[in-house]
Amino acid sequence: MQVTIENLTKKFGDVIGAENLSLDIKDGEFVAFLGPSGCGKTTTLLMLAGIYKPTSGTIRFGDTVVNRLSPRERNIGMVFQSYALYPHMTVYKNIGYPLKLKNMQKKEIDERVNAVANTMGIGDLLDRRPGQLSGGQQQRVALGRALVKEPDILLFDEPLSNLDARLRLTMRGEIKHLQHDLGITSIYVTHDQIEAMTMADRIAVMSGGHLQAFDTPEALYDRPKTLFVAGFVGNPPMNFINVEVSASNGHFVATNGNMSLDLSKERGEKPATAGNSVVMGIRPEDIQIAPDGTVPAEVFVVEPLGRENLVDVRIDGESILLLADTKADHKRGDSVKLKFNMNKAQFFDSKTGKSLLWA
Amino acid sequence: MTVTDNESQGIIHVPTLIIALKNGLLVVVIFSLLALILQGILKPLVASLQVVETVTTTLSLILILVLPYIAYIMSGSAVRELVKTSIPQALLTAVIATIVLFSIISVGHYLLNLGIFAPTSSIQMTVVDTDEGVLVESVVEGGAADIAEVKVGDVITAIRRDPVDRATLMARVAQSEVDSPLRLRMIRDGEEIQVTVRTVLATSSDASALFPGLIMALGVTLITIIWPGQFTPYVILLAILSPLFLGYLWLIIATFSTRTQGIIPLDGEGNIGGFTLSNWDFLFGKDIVGLNVSIWQVTLNSLIIAVSMMLIVLVVSSMAAYALSRMHFPGRKAFLSFTLVLHGFPAVTLLIPIFFVLANLGRTPVIGEIVGFNKPIGIALVMVAFQLPLGVWLMKGFFDGIPWDIERSAMIDGASRWRVYWEILLPQIRPGLLALGIFAFLGGWNAFLIPQTYSTGAGMVNLPVFLNQLISETAPVNWNQIAAVGLFQLVPVFILFIFAQEYLLNIYAGGTKGFS
Repeated sequence: MQVTIENLTKKFGDVIGAENLSLDIKDGEFVAFLGPSGCGKTTTLLMLAGIYKPTSGTIRFGDTVVNRLSPRERNIGMVFQSYALYPHMTVYKNIGYPLKLKNMQKKEIDERVNAVANTMGIGDLLDRRPGQLSGGQQQRVALGRALVKEPDILLFDEPLSNLDARLRLTMRGEIKHLQHDLGITSIYVTHDQIEAMTMADRIAVMSGGHLQAFDTPEALYDRPKTLFVAGFVGNPPMNFINVEVSASNGHFVATNGNMSLDLSKERGEKPATAGNSVVMGIRPEDIQIAPDGTVPAEVFVVEPLGRENLVDVRIDGESILLLADTKADHKRGDSVKLKFNMNKAQFFDSKTGKSLLWA
Repeated sequence: MTVTDNESQGIIHVPTLIIALKNGLLVVVIFSLLALILQGILKPLVASLQVVETVTTTLSLILILVLPYIAYIMSGSAVRELVKTSIPQALLTAVIATIVLFSIISVGHYLLNLGIFAPTSSIQMTVVDTDEGVLVESVVEGGAADIAEVKVGDVITAIRRDPVDRATLMARVAQSEVDSPLRLRMIRDGEEIQVTVRTVLATSSDASALFPGLIMALGVTLITIIWPGQFTPYVILLAILSPLFLGYLWLIIATFSTRTQGIIPLDGEGNIGGFTLSNWDFLFGKDIVGLNVSIWQVTLNSLIIAVSMMLIVLVVSSMAAYALSRMHFPGRKAFLSFTLVLHGFPAVTLLIPIFFVLANLGRTPVIGEIVGFNKPIGIALVMVAFQLPLGVWLMKGFFDGIPWDIERSAMIDGASRWRVYWEILLPQIRPGLLALGIFAFLGGWNAFLIPQTYSTGAGMVNLPVFLNQLISETAPVNWNQIAAVGLFQLVPVFILFIFAQEYLLNIYAGGTKGFS
């Protein structure tokens, strides 16, 4: 089912929940709404679910405008962060409840509940109550309940937040696999950008009720269109340095104090026109500590991540994060030289926050 | 506490003694200050309001009487630790601390004319018991007895016509007000004479009265030292609850006996015994004197009132509370605060207006037959109105406790709001419903004021009103029968609680832990 959102706005009194959102979600697509808490992603999801009525704008499921349809008329399945299982019902009754509300025959309910439960690997838990299940099991029940009525659209509201890190990893893969298998259009709200990056076909980055970007994870990572997206997507986050980009004789240079970095024409041409109000962004993995580096820095702290070390270095007191080989064994207070991979550098207008490269 | 230092090698553990004394004196100071505030500041203040009250005096008296024992307990508890290392040392230390404290308190009492030195009614002479009567041993010169010309060697036999011994004589003197005449009958030189003595307010200078006090103090300290601490809460609880237990014990004993003295059942001749079932005759259709209504009719009335009240309160409060908890509509906040005000509204003030409402309702065809004046359901409805504010607030709290997500989830699953309320939310607040239901049922079952006001005629009374009628009849009151009816009224309450307790536990153990 294709979902079209046009100029969607939701206000709670004077408070803006979401403003002027427009999105096209393709049939069978897995879309993540990503943003910090309070950015309006859950509000948007609840409007899609029919719990909130939009203040203005339209929501279309396929060709039907659903603005005025109640949740029950929309044929959606939803998984909540708190699982929202009915504590007084057994797992069987929880999963079967949407079917019971459709006045389905007992026999058919039985078949479908068992089928879904077996898919979710909870076939042996049907007689238990939610209170007797672990978090992961409750999660599966909630997913089963959302799937059992064969919805046109699946909505996820931070479903993995209450699980421990290891289980989250497993469930992440399972949900993605399941969505792929069933081909149900899915919208997944999360504040965890790793979840969004790993699971979604496309990510809608939101902030302050506004849509910041809507693109594939790769595009968001490599070609962020705004400063916010660049800073929010990626872990550890991108480094930002105020620079001045200048051109002379076809050479492009980004400078900040003593630091001077050469740029290729593709990267340097457009930022050079913006003068001195430029923010350069560079991801930690694009900076190396190397003997032939050009920028002197001092190691401030080293955080071992296992596979590599996250090193916080200071250039003239400014903090820069980078990823370094664990074998290098840097120590606090070491003087090092940094080498920037300037072909991956991003440039933003410091006033508008817009990218100077991918306008 | 270490016992390796030199001081502890002696027979008295000095540091402990100091702590014990410090504790005791602290209590003395605090209590004295409290008594001072009560007597010196609060009492004049209250008196200036021209209100008659004895609370402040009583309180300060209690403070003064209880004070020494609290002090001994506090000082004794300081020695408890020492018992573990050396018992003789502990005992000696405690005894010395107690004697010192006792002396300080006694001096204080003497100086302030308190405790045993407080002025009491007296006739200022000392007496002893003899075979013939109470022998006057000594007479205070110029005292009350001396003025009335009581001589040493007189033998008092009676006050007016009541024979006395020493104890009753002293008690009579102590109880009589100051300057009241006591006519003593006595034998002087073989002749019976009568002497009238007027009591005076005098301070006892009898220091020997201190001795029992000291023994008590030492006893209290000793108990404090050896008292197993874990029993303390139970003893306090039992002491506070004992009147209740005794009350119910009396109720049960009284229903099965001819008559009782205290909680001791007696038969007609005043001997212990007198077991009878005749108090329960009312159960078998035998009329109670003066009343011509069957207990079962009365019980049915009570039951109708209680059950209909329970049902209406549950349905209306849970529905109203759901709306107030989950929906936004104009006037919601005003309604909430208004119901809160209503909850504090005394029902009595509305008795007369409600009477008119019921009387008018009673004249309405059809409806009047059900909810009008002198109809059980009409009476229940009035009480429902008074219970609803509490019910609505209670239920709202329970609904507020259910996460929104559960309701949203049910709506997405395809449920209407009605089904959400009925199938998803109500089962989750079963403990609340049960509590409110029991509350409402008992409110109706035990209701007296409203049924008494709005029901007339023997056929319409409920149990509490019936009980009241048993007492207010002009015929001699059979208290044991009233106890039996009272116990009969209690039976459903007991059953309800036994049943509900288990049910409540069940729900809490397994029902509502599904969400985090």
